[in-house]
Amino acid sequence: MSTLANILIDGVAYGMVLFVIAVGLSVTLGLMRFVNLSHGAFAMVGGYCAALLTREAQWSFWGAVPVAILATALLGAVLEVLVLRHLYRRKELDQVLFTIGLSFLLIAGTNALVGPQVQLIPLPPVLAGSVDLGFRTLPAQRLLVIGAGLAVAAAAAWTVTRTRFGVWLRAAVDHAGTASALGIPIRTVQCVSFAAGAALAGFGGILGAELMPLEPYYALKYLVLVLVVVAVGGMGSIAGSLAAAVLLGVIETASKYLASDWGNLFFFLAMAALLAWRPNGLLKR
Amino acid sequence: MPISRRALASAALVATASFLTVANAQAQTIKVGIVGPFSGPFAHYGTLFKAGAEAYVASQGGKLAGKTVEFIYRDTGGPNPAQTKTLVQELIVKDKVDYLGGFVFTPNAMAVAPLIQQSQTPTVIFNAATSSITEKSEYFVRTSYTLWQVTVPVAQWAAKQGMKKVVTAVTDYGPGIDAEAAFKSEFAKQGGTVVESIRMPLTTTDFGPFVQRIRASGAQAVYAFLPGGPPNLGFVKAYNENGLAKAGIQFLGTAETDEFDLQKFGDAALGLTTAFHYSGAHDSPANKKFVAALKQRDPNAVANYASVGAWDGMYVIHKMIEATGGQRDGAKAIAAARALQWESPRGPVRIDPKTRHIVQNVYLRKVERVGEMLVNKEVQSFGPQADHGLDK
Amino acid sequence: MNTMTLLRARLEKAGDASAPRCAPPWRAPLATFAIGLAACTLLPEHAGLLTRVFIMAMFVLSLDLAVGVAGLATLGHAALFGVGAYAAGIFALKVMPDPLVGLAIGVAAGALLAFASGAFLLRYQGFTFLMLTVAVAQIVLSLAQKARDWTGGDDGLSGFSVSPLLGRFAFDLEGRVAALYALAVLVVAFYMLRRLVDSPFGLAVRGIHENRARMAALGTPVYARLLVLYTVAGAVAGAAGALSAQTTAVVGLDSLSFALSAEALVMLILGGAGRLAGALVGATVFTLLHHTAASINPYHWLSVVGILLMLVVLVPPAKVWPWLRSRLGAKA
Repeated sequence: MSTLANILIDGVAYGMVLFVIAVGLSVTLGLMRFVNLSHGAFAMVGGYCAALLTREAQWSFWGAVPVAILATALLGAVLEVLVLRHLYRRKELDQVLFTIGLSFLLIAGTNALVGPQVQLIPLPPVLAGSVDLGFRTLPAQRLLVIGAGLAVAAAAAWTVTRTRFGVWLRAAVDHAGTASALGIPIRTVQCVSFAAGAALAGFGGILGAELMPLEPYYALKYLVLVLVVVAVGGMGSIAGSLAAAVLLGVIETASKYLASDWGNLFFFLAMAALLAWRPNGLLKR
Repeated sequence: MPISRRALASAALVATASFLTVANAQAQTIKVGIVGPFSGPFAHYGTLFKAGAEAYVASQGGKLAGKTVEFIYRDTGGPNPAQTKTLVQELIVKDKVDYLGGFVFTPNAMAVAPLIQQSQTPTVIFNAATSSITEKSEYFVRTSYTLWQVTVPVAQWAAKQGMKKVVTAVTDYGPGIDAEAAFKSEFAKQGGTVVESIRMPLTTTDFGPFVQRIRASGAQAVYAFLPGGPPNLGFVKAYNENGLAKAGIQFLGTAETDEFDLQKFGDAALGLTTAFHYSGAHDSPANKKFVAALKQRDPNAVANYASVGAWDGMYVIHKMIEATGGQRDGAKAIAAARALQWESPRGPVRIDPKTRHIVQNVYLRKVERVGEMLVNKEVQSFGPQADHGLDK
Repeated sequence: MNTMTLLRARLEKAGDASAPRCAPPWRAPLATFAIGLAACTLLPEHAGLLTRVFIMAMFVLSLDLAVGVAGLATLGHAALFGVGAYAAGIFALKVMPDPLVGLAIGVAAGALLAFASGAFLLRYQGFTFLMLTVAVAQIVLSLAQKARDWTGGDDGLSGFSVSPLLGRFAFDLEGRVAALYALAVLVVAFYMLRRLVDSPFGLAVRGIHENRARMAALGTPVYARLLVLYTVAGAVAGAAGALSAQTTAVVGLDSLSFALSAEALVMLILGGAGRLAGALVGATVFTLLHHTAASINPYHWLSVVGILLMLVVLVPPAKVWPWLRSRLGAKA
């Protein structure tokens, strides 16, 4: 039974990291129909900023993380306004290729600026320790990840359902033309959503730095995982992303515990099965 | 398609220009091709090979046996047998190298065996550790180590310490499987049992689940093998963070406390036990000379098994150049290499004439803090070990 | 009057600019053969590189069939390449080392996987289809990794050799025979695909690409046509994989990787999708550039490709050509 508990804890932690990174991409895809494959690069940038601020500039972890997230949001906003919004009307393949090109550039830039080694984010003592749960010892960082993931999900759900911005967002997703005709500032909604998505990706990169090491190829290496979560969860659906991320995270962790020599076969089998069953997303019909 | 036509034209120009650049080989220049990862997460191997090899040549006054040595470096990325083969084919056919060196990953070395056999190019392996590589071609000489060589002594030591149940956790590829087989066979011979054999995929980054499995196995110790770089770091961190030491599960490793990453572990690494053939803290004049030469060449370079593998590898190439008088004679060079015996920075070593693998001392080490740095302190020497993997 | 004649008649009447060209199908393959032969003769020391170029060109050609002609954007094409490679390699190792039979095995393996996966995949479209192709490719990769007794797993499949081609031409160290062999297979495949794409079948597939609903309304069995095309694409990719296995005598898991699929897609777009010749151009330029630039610094190479990709998207070739024309026209 303790194996089951282990699988659930580790799986949920892993799933939360995936969720936090993927939710921004899901919203962007659903809202602007914009396939942004440089999303992984935002996660990387967030992680790198936090790593550099805590290690090189000797900032405290709690100060560095919000700054890193803000920096990523800023990067996202700037890119969106200057370059990416011109691509909204282009074909999907064009968007894919452009954003892959952007990712390549960011990878090369990261390597040029910081080098190819793995970047560790030094954790403050309260997080670096372990928590003894009786039947197992859990790195405290994992608890933070699960908590943060739930907080993000709750905040996102609250924003979407309870605030005016959320109303605008949902209207814009449903029908941008009518929403704009009703006076909703579509451009602002798009820009802010994109920046928020980038910020969340950066946050996910920081949270996941223990599970997914930060190195220049990060931007592309974990992109497939994030895309899988978005595809299975359904574009534009926050609840769908959460469900997909946790489900897939648990399946992947279970396969590591029970059948590790099969690699990630079960992850992709599950993904194919889920997508085939619900092509439009887990919670959509 | 104008863009691609333009690209085609400019590419053709660039390509032709570079292809027509003829490298004029002087009669006095020996060309050595070094093949390894120079980009990606294992890029530090390439840098260390470069530092070790060039430091050796510098320490000999810039020339080996009176000949200038020209190094040609080629990047294989990671385990990439097809690309490695293409690169080596080019090195042999186009660049006409006299010797080859390097090779971090076993599949890459295996892939080039037919090439070096056919072209009779002596190839020195600086790192790849699977026993069967040297059997694939007579022109392989190895100055690194093999898993059997360093694992058999540690299995014997574990048994002597009274351990009866051990779990093995290895990366699921050639050297890892070698390590698992070596430990299992020797430990069983000594009367112990391996309760579980965990195999971890090569691409694993999150070792939490595996460490939990180790904990649940009820063993007294875990014997681990992982390729150097990020996997090592991840595994040792997971070992510490999940409280395995506190739970009484002893860590038995080989290259996991590699000097390259050792400082990153901090105090969590203190006391980790490993069995290996080289420690940067080895106390000998030869090692001091090596460390000094290395630092002079590249202040960032670390004295570890990769850089010493390159240093000793160049020693072997040096002797081969001497024996052949600078001429290209693969058979003569290999014959000379078989008889070599010398004091390396790691201790006394010799090349086994039958297997062409290096016979060297294997040491038991514990991680200690000396001043500000963490080092692998040698607490015991197991004496000279041959490649037990070929004795089976 | 069935769908095929109706379509052809309408296109001819309309004089549509996107109608299939009337150039004889042997022209482009012959030109390719001539250029390839010249390259092999003039640059004998680079036979290994040329072989890689020919093999990649063939792979991207098969991708063009799926992406450019049929509009099936896929990021899992490497699976078809890889199974062809492993099939040919295992065949040479365990059964017989004859290269042409091995090539046929590779073709069959690629076609089989394409047929089996296509039967499932082609029920979906767009982003879902794309992600499912990724899933299928990763599943094949995991299976290959697990079956290390057959495939060598992460260590790769090596130790097999290929007997002399047609009983006479042994594969030499310099790789000259390998290069000519790859070139010959490429030219034959190119010719056959040219004929296929210009045939009524090819027109139907192009129609499906342009407007699936309309073609269905015309009575075209859309699913069946796409499945046949995907199987053909798989066959060609499998052949490319078999060539790769036979000429390098080693097969690694990188032949099934996502990176290979993505790289091929980039090559295709840079060269221009949909017209088959673009695939060859893209593959050649990209491979040559990669070879020269990557030996200098792999990360700089990445930024070059990144910038190139962004440029190609931002500055659509369709606008550049008239602009160039007007500049030159103004000068003259």
